[in-house]
Amino acid sequence: MNGIDVAGPQIAVLGAAGVILLVDALVPQQRRLLPFIALIGLAVSALWTISWVARDDYQTAFGGTLSLDHFSVFFYFLFAGITAMVVLASIDWVNREGRGQGEYYALVLTACSGLMFLSAGRDLITIFIALELSSIPQYVLAGWGKDVRSSEAGLKYLLLGAIASSLLLYGMALLYGVTGTTMLAEIGETIAWSGDANRSVLVVAMTLLIAGFGFKMAVVPFQMWVPDVYQGAPTPVAAYLSVGSKAAAFAVVTRIFFEALGARFLSDDWSNVFAVLAAVTMTVGNVMAIVQTDIKRMLGYSSIAQAGNFLVGLAAISVAGGEFTLGASGVLFFLAAYAFTNLGVFVAVIAISQKIGSDQIRDYAGMWKRSPFLSLGLAFCLVSLTGIPPTAGFWAKLYIFNAGIRADLTWLVVVGVLNSLVSAYYYWGVIRQLFTGASEDSTAIRTSPSIGLSLGVAAAGVFVFGILPMPLISAARDAAAIFAQH
Amino acid sequence: MLYEYGQIGILLVIALVFPVGALVTSWALGFVRIRPKNVSNPVKDDIYECGLRTEGPSLVQFNFRFYYIALLFVLFDVELVFLFPWALVFDKVGWAGYFEGLSFIGILGLGILYAWRKRALEWRL
Amino acid sequence: MNGAGPSIAFWVLAAVTLIAGGGVMLSRSLFHAVLLLILTFIGIAGFFVLLSAEFIAMAQIIIYVGAISVLVLFAILLTPRAGRYNGETKMLLPALLLSVCLAAVFLFVIRDAAWPRVNSEPHFNTNQLGEALLSTWVLPFEIASVLLTAALVGAIMLARTPQEEAEDALA
Repeated sequence: MNGIDVAGPQIAVLGAAGVILLVDALVPQQRRLLPFIALIGLAVSALWTISWVARDDYQTAFGGTLSLDHFSVFFYFLFAGITAMVVLASIDWVNREGRGQGEYYALVLTACSGLMFLSAGRDLITIFIALELSSIPQYVLAGWGKDVRSSEAGLKYLLLGAIASSLLLYGMALLYGVTGTTMLAEIGETIAWSGDANRSVLVVAMTLLIAGFGFKMAVVPFQMWVPDVYQGAPTPVAAYLSVGSKAAAFAVVTRIFFEALGARFLSDDWSNVFAVLAAVTMTVGNVMAIVQTDIKRMLGYSSIAQAGNFLVGLAAISVAGGEFTLGASGVLFFLAAYAFTNLGVFVAVIAISQKIGSDQIRDYAGMWKRSPFLSLGLAFCLVSLTGIPPTAGFWAKLYIFNAGIRADLTWLVVVGVLNSLVSAYYYWGVIRQLFTGASEDSTAIRTSPSIGLSLGVAAAGVFVFGILPMPLISAARDAAAIFAQH
Repeated sequence: MLYEYGQIGILLVIALVFPVGALVTSWALGFVRIRPKNVSNPVKDDIYECGLRTEGPSLVQFNFRFYYIALLFVLFDVELVFLFPWALVFDKVGWAGYFEGLSFIGILGLGILYAWRKRALEWRL
Repeated sequence: MNGAGPSIAFWVLAAVTLIAGGGVMLSRSLFHAVLLLILTFIGIAGFFVLLSAEFIAMAQIIIYVGAISVLVLFAILLTPRAGRYNGETKMLLPALLLSVCLAAVFLFVIRDAAWPRVNSEPHFNTNQLGEALLSTWVLPFEIASVLLTAALVGAIMLARTPQEEAEDALA
């Protein structure tokens, strides 16, 4: 069964989810083992992916619906890593909640497999059902707290997500109707062959796809759920949403738009749309983030602003020839750097907020004296989000703005740089509170090993890729190179 | 094939004629004064419930438990719809198809096992 | 689709579906809205039959008419009685404008595009669907079962009362 081998990374994750459900249901006294089962599953998944890299035998399986290529392998590693960090960061919180341990880890892993399928799907049906597989656990997880805030977050996410799915499905139906196939490669061929006779339908389908995925990418004007959901959902879940589902949405948008809608007369249109969306998204996200007093809301708006930076990479497609995929590789590189950075921020916020019982930025005052480790980690990751060396965030911004300039999008890069300055204001506001603010309570905050490990890994990643970005850049280039054939 | 559905359509039309016809007849008879107009009293307007007198409004708030049952019903209903095409070609798709269907059922079986162990299938008040 | 029969059926179904769909939006009572929604679903199932997509028609009846509407009805019957009527909304006019714009866009697109045509009579049978589902699309088929299981777990988790959660935590 070759297909099972190709889908191995996902099956390992799903298998771990199944084992977790079984252990939780049949031997509930062993519940403290559950996060370790999850981590083992993710490790097996990563090893399976490594074995494919070692075999160097990239292929499609299941009738061409699932593609194992550099692009999906890049995201398999990214999602396994993100999920492992989220699981590590959740252990304390889940134990303290004392309920639904099995369901929590099982749903996190199921969502992870959905994200993996999403990045590897080469067929609209597979992509859609993978999107649902990643979304439905996330709806449940957002409403996990069951208090008013969390239920509101879950319900809002579910309703808006359902609308986004329906728009997406409408766009996919139009694409299928006009090309007669759901396979991305065949859609691309049909469009290239038929020319711009069906341009109007394709533009409408494209708009619907951008709207549907825009919700998951959290770009303006589909961002209104973000602050409420991030604030209401449990913090580990908010971390997962801000990194995992955003990365998967960008992965699938890159794949669909480059592979199926890459024809020149279409890419000119959508690169303009993405350029405008990028400028608006960055500006709205940053301006709204300035006035926030709740750190989770602020991170929500900051993640919107970062999505605007990713969009610069998608807008930069108009470069022809050898640098056709420069923008796409910029998106991938930025996604990986952002994953480390934003997870680091969220892990520190989880650790601090749990102890001080507040998400208000002013309550973070004087944290340096209470927990130097958490403060340093948080500050370092915030510096990376601003885009200052020596961090991975710096190289990511430099790389993607470079792609923008090569694509004659100088105005967009200027907007991006100005926005980085604005973002520095609120990121540094938090850092200032951490180090200079005075706090009435000066009891030290003890960090649990799991939180320490995940924050350490995140900060180390940000630092190492800030000093030596080349391995990550070349991986991103290899991954994006699969789109360069046409 | 469509022609056969046309026959069902005719059946549908006939089925609609009966209730609509009865209502129209009743309404029309009001004009020829065979049936007296506007006869109403509380007993006549009451909801008919097997001859027993109804108590309280008909739209009451149901027990929350029903929602579990409805959710489980929807999920297994969808499962059934997916299994239908599998059952039709069961004999043609060979062992691979057999195991594909089996794993589909197996994964959902895990869900049932979970629901059973978590006592979601019990009726508790 | 040749002859008068399918044409008559199409227009009757279109009228039923559209009127019922409009009723869903305009009805003040949520209960009536759901009943009309069921009628809309049945009308759409009729369209699937007209397109010779019998399996999809059956799925539409079983899932939407049979299960989803039951779920919606239960949701209405389980909420306190005050929630059974639509409130006043200020969004009626913007929504109307948006729908008119969308309808205009789609009408334009439908007329403008060179849709690929199938020359033969549409013939479709569930056996072919089953074989496709178990060969090319076996991956979405299997993912669907995982999705259903995840939804089951999530639904049980969210619908559980605090008392049941406490029992479960002690187990």
